[in-house]
Parts: sequence; structure tokens; C-alpha cells
Amino acid sequence: MSTDVVVSENDLAEMAEQVWLSYLDPEGVHPLIPTGDHAQPSEVHSSVSITGSWTGHVVYASSTTAARKAAAAFLAMEPEEVSQEDVSDVLGELANIVGGNVKALVPSGALLSLPQVVLAPESATKYPNADRISGLYGRWEGEPVSISVWQSRNDLNKEETA
Amino acid sequence: MKILIADDSRVMRQIVTRTLRQAGFGDHDLVEAADGKEALDMATAEKPDLVISDWNMPEMSGVEVLRTLRAGGNDVKFGFVTSECTPEMQHQATAAGAAFFIVKPFTAERFDEVFSPILG
Repeated sequence: MSTDVVVSENDLAEMAEQVWLSYLDPEGVHPLIPTGDHAQPSEVHSSVSITGSWTGHVVYASSTTAARKAAAAFLAMEPEEVSQEDVSDVLGELANIVGGNVKALVPSGALLSLPQVVLAPESATKYPNADRISGLYGRWEGEPVSISVWQSRNDLNKEETA
Repeated sequence: MKILIADDSRVMRQIVTRTLRQAGFGDHDLVEAADGKEALDMATAEKPDLVISDWNMPEMSGVEVLRTLRAGGNDVKFGFVTSECTPEMQHQATAAGAAFFIVKPFTAERFDEVFSPILG
């Protein structure tokens, strides 16, 4: 089996750092603190699919509070001022940004989908025939946030037999 | 100058607007399009001086908008702000006639670097 993970937790941490410094924490005072807690709960999530030379999903998940804080930071508003539409839009954009950066790490010839947003826990969505290959799990000002990468089992089988 | 911001995410259109302001380009006339087809229509009807476009949009992708504009003889200054940054896409953008390629996430400094030569 291939030992090279196409997207490592460190890669995801670097992407998260850029997103936090650009939009969520420009002052650099409230970064995402990794905890490695794969079992941490989420209340909302968003994802993009990558298909072609590499096939899988990139999933952003967080608590509702963290999603509202993210929307507020993106929109320069207070968390209590943001609408559900704002929250959905920001969750989609976060999946799109991270997904686009993940796509840059996979072999050329892949396509990125438009984002899907689900205002329910990550466990509500199943990715049939895909396995999680890496994940960044952490807390942002005490709230759970995660980014995970799921790869198609068909892709993984190809790697095993290669 | 008139600037058309094309992105299917309303939040991202607001962030592009805010980042333009932070980079010192807040006094330009800004118009927005929410998908590729609308971007194409507005690039024709509104006659912007600059189009800042997402790549991945419903109806038409940003590069399809650019190619259609160029095929119709419209040479408006056009570039991309996108989360996707593969060499093949940058090549496609350049080949289609894009003037710039900004990768998300971006900063006001990056906007300043790209847009100062264009907007003055």
C-alpha cells in the first residue's frame, strides 16, 4: 500500500492557518488549536467533491457557534447579526477555499465541485465508498472545528495494486 | 473606473469589495454578478473597466465567460480570484487572456500588488 498521503494533517494545518490569518483571525490572536480529537461533535458542515485524477471529498465541520463566528468574521459583523443564509454561504466558501487548496495537491486533471452545505452534524452525511485519509481537528476559541479529507476506495485500491 | 465582481458566493463578493477598500481602491464604482451567465451579461451591458471573477460558478465558469467575451471582441481587463490554483488552470487563464490570477485566501497586500498597476 502507498505510504504517501496525498494531503497530510500538516498540509491541512497550513491551509487553516492561511484561512484564519486572511479572514477569521487577521490579528493572529485566536488561531485554530489542534486537539486531534477525531470524535469531537459538530453541528453543521460543508463539503466539496474532487473528481478525476483523484476522487474524494473535503469536509469542513464545526459547531453552530463557530459557524456564526466565522460568518461574522467574514462579513465584519457581530455573530448575533448574521443570518442563516450568511452562515450557509460562509460554510460553503470555507469548503471551497480548503477544497481548492487540496485540489492543488492532488495529481493534475481533477475537477472541484460547487460546495454543499448541511446545517446538521457531519455524521448526518455519509460518503459511501470513501475513507478518511487525513483530518485536522481542533478548537477555535473553545469551539470545535475540523477539516477532513476523504478519498474514494477505488482510488485507494488502485494505489494498493500499483 | 467601473469594476464588475463576479462570484456565486455573496459573502465572497463582500470580501472582495472589503479587500478592495482595504487596499485603497474603495472609491471605484462596483457592480456584482452572482453567476457566470450574469457576469457575461453584465460585462457586456455595464461595460466595466475591470472584471474580477470567480472560476467555479453556476451557469458558466469564469474562464468560459472570459473566452466568450474575447470571442465576441470584448477586451475588458479580466482576471480571476479563485480557491483553485493548479498550473493547468493558470495556463488556461493566461491562454484565455486573463490579466491576473489571485488565489483564495488572499490579503489586502495581494490585492494592492495586483491592482495597483491596473487601477493606479
